Amino acid sequence: MNLKEWIFTTDHKRVGVLYLIGSIAAFIVAGVMALLMRLELSAVGPTITSNPTSYNVWLYAHGAVMILGFQIPALTGFFANYCIPLMIGAKDVAFPRVNALSVWLFYVGIVLALLTFFVPDPPDVMWTGYPPYSTITTGNTALYTFTVLILGFASIIGGVNFLTTIAYMRAPGLTWNKLNIFVWCTLAAFVLQLIFVPVLGTAVTLISMDKYLGTHFFDPTRGGDVLTYQNLFWFYSHPAVYVIFLPFFGVLFEIVATFAKNRVFNYKAVVFGGIGGIVLLAGEVWVHHLYVSGMVDWIRVGQMVTTLLISVPVGLMLIGLVGTLYKGSITFETPMLYALGVLFLFLIGGLTGIPLAVTSLTLHLSDTYYVVGHFHYVMAVAGTFSIFAGVYYWFPKMTGRMYNEFWGKLGFWITFVGTNIVFWTMMDIGVKGMPRRYYDYAHFAQFEPAHKLMTIGAVILGVGFAIALLNWIIGAIKGKPAGNNPWGSMSLEWTTVSPPPHGNWPSPPSVSEEWTPYAYGRR
Amino acid sequence: MNRKLKHWAGSALIALLSGGVIAAAAAAQSSEAVSEAGGKSLVQYLQKGEGRITDPAPGWDYLWTEVIIDITVIGILFALMTAYFIWRYRRVPGGPTVGSGPTLSTAAAVGWVVIPTFVFMADDFFIAANGWVLWNKYRDVPAERLEVQLESGMYSWDYTYPNGARTQNELIVPAGKPVLLRMTSRDTLHSHFIPDFRVKEDSMPGRVTYLWFLPREAGKEHVITCAEYCGVMHSYMAGRVIVKTPEEFKAWYDATGDSTRKSS
Amino acid sequence: MSQHDVAHHHAGHAHWDTSIWPAIISLGILAWALAFSFHFVYHQSFTALIVFGIGLPMIVGGIAGWTSESMGKGEGLAYGAMGWFILAEAMIFVTFFVYYWYMRLMAPSWPPPGTPQLPVVFPLVMTAVLVTSSVTIHMAEEHMHDGNKAAFLKWLLLTIALGATFLGMSVYEWNHLIHSGFTIATNSFGTTFYSITGLHGSHVVVGLGIFLAGLLPALKGNISESFWRTASLYWHFVDIIWFFVVSQVYFW
Ligand code: HEA
Ligand code: HEA
Ligand code: CUA
Ligand SMILES: [Cu+2]
Repeated sequence: MNLKEWIFTTDHKRVGVLYLIGSIAAFIVAGVMALLMRLELSAVGPTITSNPTSYNVWLYAHGAVMILGFQIPALTGFFANYCIPLMIGAKDVAFPRVNALSVWLFYVGIVLALLTFFVPDPPDVMWTGYPPYSTITTGNTALYTFTVLILGFASIIGGVNFLTTIAYMRAPGLTWNKLNIFVWCTLAAFVLQLIFVPVLGTAVTLISMDKYLGTHFFDPTRGGDVLTYQNLFWFYSHPAVYVIFLPFFGVLFEIVATFAKNRVFNYKAVVFGGIGGIVLLAGEVWVHHLYVSGMVDWIRVGQMVTTLLISVPVGLMLIGLVGTLYKGSITFETPMLYALGVLFLFLIGGLTGIPLAVTSLTLHLSDTYYVVGHFHYVMAVAGTFSIFAGVYYWFPKMTGRMYNEFWGKLGFWITFVGTNIVFWTMMDIGVKGMPRRYYDYAHFAQFEPAHKLMTIGAVILGVGFAIALLNWIIGAIKGKPAGNNPWGSMSLEWTTVSPPPHGNWPSPPSVSEEWTPYAYGRR
Repeated sequence: MNRKLKHWAGSALIALLSGGVIAAAAAAQSSEAVSEAGGKSLVQYLQKGEGRITDPAPGWDYLWTEVIIDITVIGILFALMTAYFIWRYRRVPGGPTVGSGPTLSTAAAVGWVVIPTFVFMADDFFIAANGWVLWNKYRDVPAERLEVQLESGMYSWDYTYPNGARTQNELIVPAGKPVLLRMTSRDTLHSHFIPDFRVKEDSMPGRVTYLWFLPREAGKEHVITCAEYCGVMHSYMAGRVIVKTPEEFKAWYDATGDSTRKSS
Repeated sequence: MSQHDVAHHHAGHAHWDTSIWPAIISLGILAWALAFSFHFVYHQSFTALIVFGIGLPMIVGGIAGWTSESMGKGEGLAYGAMGWFILAEAMIFVTFFVYYWYMRLMAPSWPPPGTPQLPVVFPLVMTAVLVTSSVTIHMAEEHMHDGNKAAFLKWLLLTIALGATFLGMSVYEWNHLIHSGFTIATNSFGTTFYSITGLHGSHVVVGLGIFLAGLLPALKGNISESFWRTASLYWHFVDIIWFFVVSQVYFW
């Protein structure tokens, strides 16, 4: 194998694999941070460190790296890169070099994020970076700013690239209503990125300008205002959760349709009602993160309603997904197990968002472990499971080999148990008053048993994930040959050889009138 | 073409109607539910009762239970349906190896969008209406109250009473009287959180925010904790609400107030 | 082609495209990010200067290498892509303007104390210069479509000259204001004034950079229609944004 052709590659599949390797590495690092945090919290008082700042730095790194370094790059970097050109029958993306730039910038961002552990005065501003703390801390806020900026820029140029690719490079005959749901989801996610990332980039830049260049954006004594940052931050970061949610739901659609050998239920409703609805609503709900921040009253009524209304498009997507099982012929290989797990666990995560959306209920719930439980169910559980499902699903395509089915299933069940122990307990103690971002909980000592339980759960969880990761590594090296289409899928990416060569197909495919990615049982 | 149009219109109409009925039922239900909770319905709310104290904390517990039941029912319905499909349509030896999911007619396709949309929307509006009523209770501070200024800082809560008395990390209040905190911060963000009273609100430099609560039982203490990340010692920024009988409170208040006045 | 051929093609002498320029540019950007930390966070200005100096040739050289490698080889999709990119760019300006309006409307009095009288004629002249440059690049584009290379180059050089003039005027004005004691740290107007004009100025720099990057191949006769259409679209965007800047910051 030619190493140079990997490192400096401009091929979308290799760029995708580089994204996958980087984001899994980020996941492991941030996961180890989570384990350290859990160990620290396993008992009241200092346990593995007596310095609260260490804990705060772990928490900062955990949150920032999990979101910016693991999930967004895995979903909009790896899956988009690997699958979209194959799914639309293109030879590559529109701008292969820009694609390479984007993955390189992603690595630069990861390096900056990891420098956290090596610089003096590491950033301890949490992934939200709220001023005034972020502008007065001795921690290195610039590192936070640049991590966000560079990863954001990588994402923007990736978005430009893929929107152009999807718009202009589809195979002959592949009309818009024959696109895979995953392609639609990613397209929507990139539209959101293009609109909202610049706002986040600006917000974190202003933080560093205030701290290092002496400006007064957030300094109330000189006409600035601290709340502005929170508005700008969440104006991006709420849509960001749909940048995660949309592609991972897209992955689920591919998997569920394939393993139920069934057409997607009500395709247009999913695309226009579900995905379209989310894109329309995503930008009008950010205030639900500011319910206890002292925001003016009138805006929260409107945003409480819009936040609750998000349940409509999400519900439509869920109906599409569950409906795809209807009259299917379902088999239960590892990818499908993960996907079906998400169908149940996402319900918990999504529905626990409903009380949070209610501005009065949030006066008690905000900034407690209830919130932490909510978002771990949607991201750390539903999101991560979907990513794992997707990697298992496209594994034979990427490597030409098969992973081990037994270990795959075992890993799934262990993680399934672990997640519920950890994150259900979080919601429980949260409702009872446990605040988040606590290094120590001396005045909430009654929660010690629950915290111990979560620590044990986190270890179980880690074992489950570790099994999956090892399964991939071993499978990639010495798995059995998988054939070109082991799942019997109709989608275009399975029509080329595994792994696909540079250029994907000897000659670009074209598709027939009757074909759709989900046209099972119809010739 | 014409028939197609009729289908659309017909199903949209049915959906609209059913959605409307559900929404109306939900709204009626919502005002009932709240008055049962000991609070005011939307209508009652508009005609503000004089001198009545509507404590948001029990209202919170009520609404919480209601919303939890609501989402549990939805969750179980979806989960049961999913589980049933998984079991019913699993591949069995000799069974079909390919799915036969329906091709929806236009009417069915539209119906599958419009009807769920209205059902979900009805539930959303129901929750929103209840939430909004409760929110107003949180923001509607009774006129008869004890008003305390709070300045938060890294890492303490500093209270100043109307008579100039000052305390740190101890909020001493009389039972049965609403307490209003007017809050600001001298450095970073903090959030004054009293879990027992189901209330928190950030304090920050450059702005004044407020919250109120109704301490009921004398002799009790309630944890105050900081819920907004404010710096290294965030998790140690704690205090207590100490509830006294009105008499005890008056004695303490007059004594401290006097001493402060004398010294200044 | 049969399956077998594909497999053979893959296993054998398949050649995978590579490019080193994205990597070099990225590492240059990493160097700049580190330089910022060295200077502002750890106050090691000398190290910062060195690291910055390492990054500079990487970025400039990287861009140059990239352009000469890829000029004219694209599939002509850059124009559409630039539209999306401009959407993202516009959002940055929107954020700044929203911040500015919000702050201004919330302020008890405006302008805050310490703000000098801004000039009136000077920004108008700057506007005229920038608008003219938009016209000239349009002319250049027209000539390109007609295949008139010499005229294209002439109008392009004129555009670059006008852009540079605009930049020079900006620098002159900043210099003047800073010497009269009005800096980015003076008050919240200073903060927004310098950041918005600075942000716009940086876009002018990028626009000029694009022109210069394409100029070398163009002088050698390698003129990519797609490249110049795209570059000119970006330049028009920079011009249009200036109207917002000048009207909101100088004349409101
Ligand atoms: C992938 C990520 C993801 C997703 C998809 C969501 C989805 C949702 N989130 Fe979550 N959220 C986060 C990630 C995510 N969230 C993160 C990271 C934070 C915290 C950040 C921080 O502070 O650090 C957060 C915090 C957060 C808050 C702020 C809490 C606080 O800090 O005070 C709120 C408040 O409204 C909220 C609400 C919601 C809602 C209503 C949804 C909805 O989209 C859910 C919709 C889904 C369903 C409702 C279930 C399926 C639908 C049906 C079965 C149909 C029928 C249902 C009904 C009619 C109700 N979330
Ligand atoms: C995608 C996002 C994501 C994911 C996947 C996770 C995963 C996990 N998270 Fe995290 N979390 C966040 C996003 C995420 N989290 C965010 C945004 C915050 C808020 C930050 C903030 O407040 O600013 C947060 C906060 C947060 C807290 C709150 C701390 C506090 O408020 O004080 C806790 C506490 O328990 C926690 C725990 C965990 C655990 C146990 C996991 C587990 O699922 C992790 C399991 C994974 C592993 C354990 C790694 C894999 C294991 C191996 C590869 C084994 C090999 C190991 C070795 C070789 C050593 N997370
Ligand atoms: Cu004060 Cu946290
Ligand atoms: Cu949100």
